[in-house]
Amino acid sequence: MNIQEYIESGILEEYALGVLSEAERAEVERVVREHPEVSRELQQILNGLDAYAEAHAVTPPEGMRERVLQGWQQAIRNTAGQEILIQTADAPVATPLMTASVTPMQPVPAAPEQQGAVVRQMPAAQEAPSRLKWLIAASVALLLLSGLGNYLLYSRLQETEANLEVAQTAQSRYAATQQAALNERDQQLAVLRNADFRAVELKGTPKSPEALARVYYNPKTKAVYVDVRNLPAPPSGKQYQLWALDNGKPVDAGMLATTTAAGDSIQQMKDIDSAQAFAMTVEDAGGVASPTMSTLTVIGNL
Amino acid sequence: MLPVSATTPESAALETEVLLVQRLRDRDEGAMTIFYDKYSAALYGVILRIVKKEETAEDVLQEAMVKIWHSFPSYDAEKGRLFTWVMNVCRNLAIDKIRSRQYRVGSRTQPIEESAALRQAAEPSFRPEHIGLQEMTNQLNPEQRQIVDLLYFGGFTQSEVAEELNLPLGTVKTRARAAIKVLSKLIR
Repeated sequence: MNIQEYIESGILEEYALGVLSEAERAEVERVVREHPEVSRELQQILNGLDAYAEAHAVTPPEGMRERVLQGWQQAIRNTAGQEILIQTADAPVATPLMTASVTPMQPVPAAPEQQGAVVRQMPAAQEAPSRLKWLIAASVALLLLSGLGNYLLYSRLQETEANLEVAQTAQSRYAATQQAALNERDQQLAVLRNADFRAVELKGTPKSPEALARVYYNPKTKAVYVDVRNLPAPPSGKQYQLWALDNGKPVDAGMLATTTAAGDSIQQMKDIDSAQAFAMTVEDAGGVASPTMSTLTVIGNL
Repeated sequence: MLPVSATTPESAALETEVLLVQRLRDRDEGAMTIFYDKYSAALYGVILRIVKKEETAEDVLQEAMVKIWHSFPSYDAEKGRLFTWVMNVCRNLAIDKIRSRQYRVGSRTQPIEESAALRQAAEPSFRPEHIGLQEMTNQLNPEQRQIVDLLYFGGFTQSEVAEELNLPLGTVKTRARAAIKVLSKLIR
């Protein structure tokens, strides 16, 4: 091998930078062992890089010396037992030349994770780290609890919001219904308060003596309202029909809705031009042109 | 360097280094204080140059000292200076640190601290006989310096540098070798 050519090749510089593969590194180390000239050259190169590194020196911050030295001492005390094992394990490895640790550019054999761990020295007494551990554990527990609490509160909030929405919808629907009903009642009340209205008591025929209804009739406006107090439920398929009797002639005044017949509300009927009496019969649903006299349930005169 | 007396600074330094190595080999814990006083500025400076954050640099230095203590039986003085060996321990730990995903994510959120660390100037009075950073880097052209810094402080491989700088691998190798040659000639 031409030593000068080997040195000029630049492989020693690459070795010093630590950029060679394991095999290349081993080859360089073999050459270095055999040729003192190459070894000297390599040392020069390493010194050059060392100087470059030293040129980057920075004075460590205030207080770091104590922290680092105390932290180091604590770390090696913590692993003192293990160290004996490592020393004995390393001892035979240290003798051969080619081990990773004896050559400058090789990384140190990996120590167990615990040894490499950084121990930050606390300014207080010995129990400080364990107190810190408790504090950290407590903080973590609090954080977890708080997270869980937040989650529960959040899901409860979601649930509440959903319920509220349902309630608001129901409420506004109810309000709308009530408003409509109220408007209707107001209208009816206005109608009934009108002095022009005449109230007609329709009393039960002997066939249904308990039956009772009232008709409000306004001869001026021709408006007719019916207010049921008590009527027997009509057979299925049948409906109560109101008749106005004008000079003895029955005039259809409209069909009573089921709710009206049940007495739940007052119903406006067909306008009637003139009448002296009112009566109700039970007819087929939808009504008929002339009353079935046998089903006459109530009747009353003006 | 001019010898001022029978003992040159170099030989004095060598003497203290040999003594220090002996004490460390004897597991003398007090030797670590001497070790710290002798090397901390250089080691801290290089670690800080790599990890960029002062707090992390301090952690890495302490971690490195623990590692150095535990691995010391495997250090062979005939193979190289103690400084070269410990510097590589620190460099490898620091590079491992910046390569860890956790660190990358963390550092992205702390740009201010990072820039503060970068502003920190090198301590010129660390060793009276050592060549200043300015003087050394002046001898390197910008391309050489960039490549040495990526390889030595960035933990990049030559292929990664080639990719990063969009250069042929051969050019990266040539420049790296040339740069190290310049550095080693400076101190001869």
